[in-house]
Amino acid sequence: MSADVSVQIRFDVNGTGQDLRVDPERRLVDLLREDLDMTGTKESCAVGVCGACSVLVDGELLSACLIPAVMVDGRSITTIEGIAGPNGELSAMQEAFIVEGGLQCGACTPGQVVAATALLREQPDPSDAEIRDWMAGNLCRCTGYAGIIRAIRSAAAPG
Amino acid sequence: MSDHDARGLGTPPDAAEATALAKPERRDDGPGKVTGATRYAGDRKMPGALWAAFLGSQVPHGRIRSVDASLARTLPGVRAVLTGADVEGVLFGRRLQDRPVLAWDRVRFVGDRLAAVAADTLEAAEAAVAAIEVDIEELEPLFDLELAVRDGAPVLHPEAGGYVYMGGTRPPVAHPNVQGRTLKQRGEEDIEAVFARAPRVFEHEFTTPRHHAGYIEPHATLVWIDDGDIVHVVTTNKTPFSLRSQMATSLGLPPAQIEIEAGVIGGDFGGKGYSVDEFACYFLARATGRPVRAVTRYADELSATNVRHAARLRLRTAVDADGRLLAHQADILFDGGAYASAKPLPHLMLAAGNATMSPYRIPNVRIEARTIYTNTVPAGHMRSPGEVQALFAGESHLDAIARELGEDPLEFRLRNVVRDGEVGTLGDHFREARGAEVLETVRSAMDWGRPLPAGRGRGLAFGVRHVGGGALTLGLRLAPDGRIEVFTALPDQGGGQTMVIKRVLALVASIDESRISVVRRTTAGAPFDPGVGGSRVTHIASRAAEMLGEQLRDWIDERLPRALPDAPAGAELRDDAIVDPATGHILLGFDELIGRLVPAGEPLELTATFDAGTHGPDESGDNDFAACAVEVSVDADTGTITIHDAVLVVDVGTVINPVAHAGQLVGGFAFGVGAALMEELIVEDGVMAGLSLGETRLPTIRDVPALRLVLLPTTVGPGAFGAKMAGELSNAPVAPAIANAVADAVGIRPTQLPMTPERILAALRAWAGAEANPPT
Ligand code: FES
Ligand code: FES
Repeated sequence: MSADVSVQIRFDVNGTGQDLRVDPERRLVDLLREDLDMTGTKESCAVGVCGACSVLVDGELLSACLIPAVMVDGRSITTIEGIAGPNGELSAMQEAFIVEGGLQCGACTPGQVVAATALLREQPDPSDAEIRDWMAGNLCRCTGYAGIIRAIRSAAAPG
Repeated sequence: MSDHDARGLGTPPDAAEATALAKPERRDDGPGKVTGATRYAGDRKMPGALWAAFLGSQVPHGRIRSVDASLARTLPGVRAVLTGADVEGVLFGRRLQDRPVLAWDRVRFVGDRLAAVAADTLEAAEAAVAAIEVDIEELEPLFDLELAVRDGAPVLHPEAGGYVYMGGTRPPVAHPNVQGRTLKQRGEEDIEAVFARAPRVFEHEFTTPRHHAGYIEPHATLVWIDDGDIVHVVTTNKTPFSLRSQMATSLGLPPAQIEIEAGVIGGDFGGKGYSVDEFACYFLARATGRPVRAVTRYADELSATNVRHAARLRLRTAVDADGRLLAHQADILFDGGAYASAKPLPHLMLAAGNATMSPYRIPNVRIEARTIYTNTVPAGHMRSPGEVQALFAGESHLDAIARELGEDPLEFRLRNVVRDGEVGTLGDHFREARGAEVLETVRSAMDWGRPLPAGRGRGLAFGVRHVGGGALTLGLRLAPDGRIEVFTALPDQGGGQTMVIKRVLALVASIDESRISVVRRTTAGAPFDPGVGGSRVTHIASRAAEMLGEQLRDWIDERLPRALPDAPAGAELRDDAIVDPATGHILLGFDELIGRLVPAGEPLELTATFDAGTHGPDESGDNDFAACAVEVSVDADTGTITIHDAVLVVDVGTVINPVAHAGQLVGGFAFGVGAALMEELIVEDGVMAGLSLGETRLPTIRDVPALRLVLLPTTVGPGAFGAKMAGELSNAPVAPAIANAVADAVGIRPTQLPMTPERILAALRAWAGAEANPPT
């Protein structure tokens, strides 16, 4: 039997501290989906091109399928489960995705919402070109993207 | 009761209903999806569940000498390893069961499964797969569609006579490498004679590639067998009752012993009608006594589930001296891959695989289409199956004819488009033939005659698609507190079907939508339905919901005197309350009404079955005509096509969910852009290149141009309030519209999809070379 090479890591997910042992090869997406049963973060391509697994690590938009779980030691992660308010009230971005037709099957939606939320933190009033550039790492096969662009625009300029 | 009959039209909405339907809907599945709370099949876990992994063949065609799993079985965490020898003779498929769960004597494509492992972790399962030793004697592979049907070609399925064909008898085939065939013939018996005397005859050949539906959620399943020997299957399959009968047939179990749970599906586009892992996971669950999970790796999605059929299409058309289409002949070969098992239709063909020129009036027709066995990944259904290939060829061919005749492509189509009372190329009768209206709208939306700047080109493509049918049952349960549950096994692949059901039921019964929830049950707890697909759901689910609404009203009307003995004459349920018609005053709210009529613990249960029946050959069917038109330029240095303007003009019925309806059309357009410009799974010597979503490109937000959507509504549709369909309407015309615009812009005619920059550049150079050195 191989020796236990697992590593103790401490990190914060959506405001809750976690203290776990993980294998050095385990990916962040598995840690979230399998070990913590936070299945809002999706996995599709597994090679960093679809964005279904988008999460924020210390505020930075990253693909959880590419990151070793040990890398988040000492950091704080926001997943899709952490986007709504403390009592479950939807963010303006989440509501906009619903009413503007930013989602259909929903498989890409957690990643889209996380990425779009990060965009507005960087650039509160993005142009269409900035939206297209920022969101190019999040594939959606259902919507044709028009609803996603409308949702981001309307969340950026509420009312 | 309204006066419509089961096979007729929906009742058009009155003014109040039309206003309510025009209001944008807020999807009820939205909150779960934007918060990550919605659980998909791949998110489901069970205590003690094992992970499955599979070994695929590395050779396209071969005879298995041995599969040695002895080392794999000894590895840590491994609970079971099955090879073909353990499940010899077990085959599966949607109609023809020709694909082995695990191959035992022969492999037929790279990816064909040889072994299945269940282990404590996915890593352990994959390590065991890597430790399996395989010895295969390679056989001559078959890749070429023309060679495959010649005499003396290697036969891929010599044992085909023994295959189970579900629901009848398999139509005979002329060559053992033919999966299925359709022949459409109309007009003069001897079509060659028509061609021989025609003033002009045009002939073109087109090819289209295999590619993948590209849903973001890969196939996933979780299978367990309970103490009562019931087999539970959580799945991404969109046709749960069909999967149940496939599994019952393959596994030799009574259907009642199998319970399928298909809930929210993360994208379908046809590909989720086909299940592969569920069968092997059943055997792994049997062998281990544990639940078994599988989530398909995207490389396996691309190479071993089901893809769009690649096609080779030869078209020939005769035109008279006045520019009228006289005769059309097509010979179409679809690459079916190693197994026909992903195809559900009785003739093992694609429904619209012969729809090269459907919206036109052509008196003499002969269209033969065949699906062919080759040593490649099985091909199945993908959004507008067959039509994508056929329409690219047909609308490119027609455009080329118009240009060669020196005619405007729009005028040429208008002259030949089928009008009211006329019969289309395939013999279809149209309830409303709105093709000319669609084309005239393209003219105005594109300002068609306006001269374009140099280097720009304009093109259009045009098709017609029938509204799907079938039978569907919905159940309703009304609780004493006034809450209403509608239950169904119909999966939700994102089309918005729960909102269709809720909106229609609320409007017909005149109750508040918020009291209705749609509850998805397994096949054990819900009435039969045909699943999602074929552009049928809005039509039949809306009509079943309408019937439920009418039943509920009738039930309440009958009992109103009991609940409200002093009710004035004509008192009725309106806007969620019993209202006095004379004064408009509310007499009793819905909650209280139901509290008086439905005893505690005894909820009211209703069911409604809507059966669209089938249309006779000479009866008018319901169809949507749609056209896409684009303005493009082509970069002479790179071959890149840029779309400067795109318009979609669609003949639509009454729209029930405006947001989801537009979403289907725009999403279909993006799907069409991908097929037109970038998507292709390249297979060389049976091996697929580029086995990841990084290498097989799907359109990103940067690749999809803005689309102008023009809806031409009608209330003449078979769904509730006259609804029709939208899901498979907009993708097929996109590629031919772009190809026709490229031909207009630079004078070369793309005949192969996708129109990648490399292909366009090569064609431009070849053309320039030919101009410089004209043939002598
Ligand atoms: S699953 Fe991580 S980017 Fe696709
Ligand atoms: S909503 Fe289905 S992939 Fe985006």
